[in-house]
Amino acid sequence: MGGGQRFMMLRIKQFLAMAGLTALEAIRQPICLLLSAGCVVLIAAVPLMIMHTFGEDGKQVRDSALAFHFVFGLFIAGHASGTLLSHEMKSGTASAVLSKPVSRELFFLSKFTGITVVVMLFSMCAAIATLLSERVAEKFYFTNTLTGYITDTQTGAMLFGAPFVACLVAALINYRFKRPFASTAFVMLLFSLLFVLVMSGFFERNGTWMPYDFHVQWRIVPVSILITMALVVLAAIAIALSTRLDTVPTLVISSTVFLLGLMSDYIFGRFAENSGFSAFLYMVVPNWQHFWAADALSGGGNVPWEYVINAGLYAAAYSTGILCLGMFSFRHVEMK
Amino acid sequence: MDEQKENDVIVEVHNLVKVFKDFWQRPKVRAVDGLDLEIRRGEIFGLLGPNGSGKSTTIKILLGLLHATSGNVLVFNRSPRDVEIKARIGYLPEESYLYNYLSPCETLNFYGRLFDLKNSVRKERIWQLLEMTGLTHAANRSVGEFSKGMARRVGLAQALINDPELVILDEPTSGLDPVGCRQVKDLMLTLAKRGKTIILSSHLLADVEDVCDRIAILYNGSIKALGSVNQLLEKQESVRFTMPSLSPDVMKKVLELIREKIGKEPEVDHPSMNLEQFFLEVVEKAHKATSQQSGVAPTERMADYLLIKDK
Repeated sequence: MGGGQRFMMLRIKQFLAMAGLTALEAIRQPICLLLSAGCVVLIAAVPLMIMHTFGEDGKQVRDSALAFHFVFGLFIAGHASGTLLSHEMKSGTASAVLSKPVSRELFFLSKFTGITVVVMLFSMCAAIATLLSERVAEKFYFTNTLTGYITDTQTGAMLFGAPFVACLVAALINYRFKRPFASTAFVMLLFSLLFVLVMSGFFERNGTWMPYDFHVQWRIVPVSILITMALVVLAAIAIALSTRLDTVPTLVISSTVFLLGLMSDYIFGRFAENSGFSAFLYMVVPNWQHFWAADALSGGGNVPWEYVINAGLYAAAYSTGILCLGMFSFRHVEMK
Repeated sequence: MDEQKENDVIVEVHNLVKVFKDFWQRPKVRAVDGLDLEIRRGEIFGLLGPNGSGKSTTIKILLGLLHATSGNVLVFNRSPRDVEIKARIGYLPEESYLYNYLSPCETLNFYGRLFDLKNSVRKERIWQLLEMTGLTHAANRSVGEFSKGMARRVGLAQALINDPELVILDEPTSGLDPVGCRQVKDLMLTLAKRGKTIILSSHLLADVEDVCDRIAILYNGSIKALGSVNQLLEKQESVRFTMPSLSPDVMKKVLELIREKIGKEPEVDHPSMNLEQFFLEVVEKAHKATSQQSGVAPTERMADYLLIKDK
């Protein structure tokens, strides 16, 4: 292996080690488990809570579940990005790592990647919970033996129980093998949701056995992917800010950017044609509306994959720009 | 010539100045003020000084963690911001900066991966270091649950995972019990014998006196005294003899002769064991008599790879 290749391999190994550690650090924090499990429980509880929907249960559940995914995801992405790097710089672990043969750029990027992994794992949990919750919601059912509105209580019970089973298994693993509870429960949550997704495929909505069929609306998946992209962009903004700011200012500014981005079409977009300044702000502030496509699913609609790819390119370009600024800032920061 | 210089001088600092600035970029503190220093291969160099004298700031500039306001700094004849040279350095920070959710084993594995150590080498070194620091029984507990002394030991182990040529230890014995302190001092002496260079920053003057070849005393960011420990501490005007006890007659004669020559009464006393030696003996006896261990297991063992002579 040549010198250049060896150098590259070393950098990749260092990158993977640091990104892995960041993800591990994030999921070992109890708040990560609390937010993820809380989100899943709320998504599972949506079909029980909504009433008087005039046959729109599926839509209501879908919209609410996706909103929970977005809001809880924002907390996880914002908290992890806003606290991990600034905490490392304040506690000195960043100094300890940067005293090793690790470049600052690599360290910064690995932190972002680690957080992105956590955001993706959370999004997988939320997306599976949304698929299942939508299946649980009361729908009109028509077979030879039964006609009427049916709630899939069996899947609902399994979905509702998944976070509790995950915590129970994690507690047993902690007792038996002394593995950390929070991270084990987080991973178990994902596995238990996957298990429920697979198991629910064996049952009809009325609880009888049937030939294997998932019976979930896969068209929700592109919408969940779009939400995940928004969370990754927000994570990039928060981590870039945290190179210079403390946790509280980082979270305040990230939240402000989020709110401005939500209203971007209204407060900047409509003036963009006539005002250069508004056009600039409209371009610079991330437009979260691009990533919220739940309405496209009403009336049996779909989000085309071309749209998802284009939104992905927008998210990638925006994140790259923000991360470059973050890297530049981190390169010159002094480690206390 | 340059190669020869690199072989001899490991750290070179000329007229180093570090000024910390406030949010508006106005000068706030002049932490280092015109520091000149040369540290040579194989020596144990002590940086002494009261709090805020610029010791830790100097160390962080040597590691490229802080940027010098002016002056030249070379480590292994290269800029401290050069990432490559850090593969040859081991650093124990003033506080044990560790990831609280990781165990000692995971911590050392992580740092080992940053140096691209092969799996087998990494595993071997991790266990040798855990044995050396007496933490094998706590290898899988979270570092966050550790006492300060135990965390310090993990910090020391991570500083040595890459078998560094230059070891920078900032207050290495802080929080350690006397057994740990002695062990760290023995470790420094062993590493120096192997040709490693050690920079030791400490408030504990006895520790510095025990192991350092040369010291610099910093005050307000500049060096107030620099030289070998013996040179700085030796009292040229006095002499001390140590010998087996003499019979009263011989003693009387010797004292009379000395009194006659110097014209005043000489001081005579019995050498005593110092408290550190006494403590270590008591703990060793207690350890031999006990089978169970909850804290750090006292050990005199060094990690094998740290004892292998460089080719």
